[in-house]
Amino acid sequence: MRGFEARGADAVATLDDEERLVVARIVADVAGLLGADAFGFDNEEYPSSTLTEVDDPFEHLRGLEESIREPSDPAILRLLPNAAPTDREAADEFRRLTDGELRSGKIRRLRRIWEALSSGGDEWVVPADEALATAAALTDVRLVLASRLGLTTDDDADRLHQEIDLATHALETDDERTLSIDPERVWLGMLYQALTWLQESLVQYMAGASEETDV
Amino acid sequence: MGVHEQFEAEGGVATRTDDPWITIVWNDPVNLMSYVTHVFQSYFGLPRHEAEARMREVHEHGRSVLSTGPREKMEVDVQAMHSYGLWATLQRSGE
Repeated sequence: MRGFEARGADAVATLDDEERLVVARIVADVAGLLGADAFGFDNEEYPSSTLTEVDDPFEHLRGLEESIREPSDPAILRLLPNAAPTDREAADEFRRLTDGELRSGKIRRLRRIWEALSSGGDEWVVPADEALATAAALTDVRLVLASRLGLTTDDDADRLHQEIDLATHALETDDERTLSIDPERVWLGMLYQALTWLQESLVQYMAGASEETDV
Repeated sequence: MGVHEQFEAEGGVATRTDDPWITIVWNDPVNLMSYVTHVFQSYFGLPRHEAEARMREVHEHGRSVLSTGPREKMEVDVQAMHSYGLWATLQRSGE
């Protein structure tokens, strides 16, 4: 994997077949959590979310006057947080007014990434005017992974890095017996780290691009 | 980006002390400092050093007030922050 770099006006990253498949899959899963139909024509390959608990996608279309429930899945709640924890009326109104639009906007951006990664070729090309939307979608994916990994404080995030380093070292030295490694957690953690690194490279590209236009 | 332009146009109003609502952005362990700075620059139209100062306030003190104004405007700002994956809330400024 190579992070995003500027090429002309575009940002270009390089991902091999497996990396593209993994990122496309998690992007589709997060969209599924938000209530999207399965991405792609082949629904066998992308069954509805493996992260479970799909909210009713048509909930926001059924009577805009009705209040919309707060998502029970903490990961979805992090994508669509309570906007006024101390003011029930304001929180309900905010959710009623914004839930549908926020979900569809997030799903649209995730779908764009999925399409880019599913079109073949190692290069992931993000045009300048899609860079912020792509970075925002990567944030949504990282928020869901962080929720599944139980990262709620800055210290939790630091500990995850140490945990992954230890696990990687143990696997490399064949020393698995001495550590209680949860392979799924390590895998999700490594995916989280890879997406963090990819997003950081994309934001660096955006910072460089905006400096150029300032001149 | 009609929302952004509208905010620019109302920039003078946004700091009036009798406006009763505020938008608060909260710290979280996921959002990158560089990304938060970029969002503050691009959505609120802050110069880079100001956006960085707000980002540091969020990161080091747990929260920062990013905008002040009528409730409807704060709803628009909070919705934008949620769209970027930032954790934001609105409340009356006196609370």
